[in-house]
Amino acid sequence: MADERADVMVLGGGPGGYTAAFRAADLGLRVALVERYPVLGGVCLNVGCIPSKALLHVAGVMAEVEGLAEHGVRFGSPEIDFAALRAHKDAVVGKLTGGLAKLAKQRGVEVVTGEGRLVSANRVEVETADGPRGVDFGSAILAAGSRNVALPNLPDDPRVLDSTRALEVDGAVGRLLVIGGGIIGLEMAAVYDALGSEVTVVELLPQLMTGTDPDLVRPLQRRIAKRYAAIHLETKVSEVRAADDGLHVRFEGAKAPAEGVFDRVLVAVGRRPNGDRIGAEAAGLRVDERGFVPVDAELRTNLTNVHAIGDLCGGPLLAHKAMHEGKTAAEVIAGEPAAFDPRGIPSVAYTDPEVAWVGLSETEARERGVAFDKAVFPWAASGRALGSGRSEGQTKLLFDVESRRLLGAGIVGLHAGELIGELALALELGADAADIALTIHPHPTLSETVGIAAEVAAGTVTDLMNKQ
Amino acid sequence: MAEKRDVLLPDIGDFEEVDVAEVLVSPGQQVEAEQSLIVLESDKASMEIPAPFAGTVVEVLVGVGDQISQGARIAVFEVEEAAEAGEPERAEAAKPEATPEPVRAREPEPSARDVAPAEPAATDTEPAATDTEPAAEPGRPSGAVLPHASPSVRRLARELGANLELVPGTGRKGRITQEDVRGYVKAMLQKGLSAGVPIAGVSVAPAPQQADYAKFGPTEIEPLHRIRKLSAANLHRSWVTVPHVTQHDEADITDLDAFRRETKAEAEARGTKLTFLPFVIKAVTSALAEFPHFNASLDHTGESLILKRYYHVGVAVDTDNGLVVPVVRDADRKGIFDLADELGSLSEKARSRKLRPSDLQGGSFSISSLGGLGGTFFTPIVNHPEVAILGVGRMSWQPVHRDGDFEPRLVLPLSLSYDHRVIDGADAARFTTRLGQLLSDLRRLIL
Repeated sequence: MADERADVMVLGGGPGGYTAAFRAADLGLRVALVERYPVLGGVCLNVGCIPSKALLHVAGVMAEVEGLAEHGVRFGSPEIDFAALRAHKDAVVGKLTGGLAKLAKQRGVEVVTGEGRLVSANRVEVETADGPRGVDFGSAILAAGSRNVALPNLPDDPRVLDSTRALEVDGAVGRLLVIGGGIIGLEMAAVYDALGSEVTVVELLPQLMTGTDPDLVRPLQRRIAKRYAAIHLETKVSEVRAADDGLHVRFEGAKAPAEGVFDRVLVAVGRRPNGDRIGAEAAGLRVDERGFVPVDAELRTNLTNVHAIGDLCGGPLLAHKAMHEGKTAAEVIAGEPAAFDPRGIPSVAYTDPEVAWVGLSETEARERGVAFDKAVFPWAASGRALGSGRSEGQTKLLFDVESRRLLGAGIVGLHAGELIGELALALELGADAADIALTIHPHPTLSETVGIAAEVAAGTVTDLMNKQ
Repeated sequence: MAEKRDVLLPDIGDFEEVDVAEVLVSPGQQVEAEQSLIVLESDKASMEIPAPFAGTVVEVLVGVGDQISQGARIAVFEVEEAAEAGEPERAEAAKPEATPEPVRAREPEPSARDVAPAEPAATDTEPAATDTEPAAEPGRPSGAVLPHASPSVRRLARELGANLELVPGTGRKGRITQEDVRGYVKAMLQKGLSAGVPIAGVSVAPAPQQADYAKFGPTEIEPLHRIRKLSAANLHRSWVTVPHVTQHDEADITDLDAFRRETKAEAEARGTKLTFLPFVIKAVTSALAEFPHFNASLDHTGESLILKRYYHVGVAVDTDNGLVVPVVRDADRKGIFDLADELGSLSEKARSRKLRPSDLQGGSFSISSLGGLGGTFFTPIVNHPEVAILGVGRMSWQPVHRDGDFEPRLVLPLSLSYDHRVIDGADAARFTTRLGQLLSDLRRLIL
């Protein structure tokens, strides 16, 4: 096949890659988008955020229905048609990825399907189904993403799952062990819990969702500790042995439980960037020892015509970060004055309750010695939360002691992920405690907790007693 | 040293006589700050009460079923002396606590760590995975130092090449608006045309497009730390706006050195590390009192001089991330030992990045001492809006002609840079001469 010549070559068709490609095309550049799979969308759309949220929605409704029993409404126990559930999830994914293919076509973005590797700072070679094909480019945006970290020494057994396999939900699972108490592990645990599994979570570090403020994790941990078979912190999996009656797992650590038998083991211990798989050396591209490609605020790598975005360039491994970086990189290449300089990147754990935060966290503020004022509104005083039968949440805001501007926010509770958007905006616009407190929030809503937390900081709260 | 401390029930909101539902710790147990101690359950909610500080549980004073209210004693801890009592409710953090745990990966999303024996690139102790350089990462607000500007305004500033640190905001609470950025750039351009007058923040003609150095050999890009970028902006402004002159002089500190050695033991006995710097600060404050124009700022109209009746001396500290200048307040009223202690703690705070904005504000004169590193004379850049800065070089033994003969004397090189709009050469020579006299003979300090 003939070689391609593009102004911009985008390597990877995930959220960062397709956003970069589309933006570059809209800015009048000729774009080639190299994607190894036949469908665009990357991990997020195909085997990550989107399918997991389709399942988590189902899990969430089931949990709510179950909760109604306390308020006098009982349904029978659910009947689950796994094939139909899977079909629903696949339909959502299919709709979105199909839409992407159409958008690429409408913009004239040339999609080259196959695994691409740089062979120089101006050329990539792609193993397509029809044989190798080269693309020469003026500029490149590398968006090759990350992959699941596998644990060594695990048996090669279909009952050992990674997050991709776990999303297949191919039938009822009795006893599930989730290795890794991070966001992905806990989200999948929530899905399987709803689908009737007996879930055990094991985490190496002393806290679930390490790095997240402990007070935000606590309500989640309390709830799942009651629902799940067990949560083992500071515990290591030392051996998994496959047998006919299940996977026999041995644990290590001061608080380690005795050996257990599980029907499935889900490995969710983290993700690693794909910097080792893109032909960096041939191009002279700098990749750090962890596999990340270091970049500056213009997402420029050590090669002046090559940018890197998303999971590949480090920072939080989040689709929305990658998308914004993709736009920035495309604009920089088009000569616009763009830079990636956000004041905060929101994170959301779609657990039940959800945990979400943006900007400076309390943990980080303490570690770095940043002076801050903390204002907390406990949802036990929110009529809306009480009405929903879920008052374990809290809304926490951190303000600068002098300017009173918002530094960061953390929320745990129902729909925390939807609530954090307002605070991301407040952070970017430099809103202070009074700005947020004086913004009228609708009553009674959960969004109101943001306004009231700011009133706590401003000393004008009337729903609680003011601090002296 | 360990001490016993009570753990009291903090303010838990509008609740009285709440049931203890669970006790999560037992005597003898080591407890981290923030670790949950007990669970309270009211009819409305349940809440876990975290430990306000770390320690070892000596005694638990509540049991399941007890009803307790704010202020109740929950437990007695034995704590190490260094432990700071954290305030559980209102956290005005930023206390220089002994960092509780060494390095902790802080990655909001899945991080590369393993649970079982790991493959080499991703062990749970992998130091690289914990290497977070917060200030250099995007998406991390670092406090009030960021310009008060929304994303679209930041974009406009990039487009026009305006440094937002220098743009005055006219919006509510000092917010920088689009008009402010445009107005600033316009003013700069207009002022730039009326040549001759040094203008605050004026920038030179933009350099031609960045050269493609890679044509000539391999290059790599090292991002500048935020501190360096900030000081770069300030230094550039000073360099462009302040007409600098540097006056060099030498001080004979033979007697001062002898005195310092005599008092060294005394200093060490009280835990003080006594260098020359406190003596230099002391002598400087005395000289400033005699020459008030050196302890002043030009007002923004250029019509008058603001003389300061306080002596806050900034001391440049070299850190891994760049230069910072913490300020010793009221240096004229402090003794040598106190100054030495304060310098020690300020530079420690600077290096561990624990300085508060207030530690960096209010200086009326600065000192940059390179004596520990080497070199003689140099030209420090005035720390605008101050009008003078003293550079201190490395002392050395020199043959000095005294009373008809050469004698070995310990000589300290001094370099005073000053704002020539405010200070004339004759005054500068008088100032450094006086400073030299004070350093040569400390007794003059009390005259």
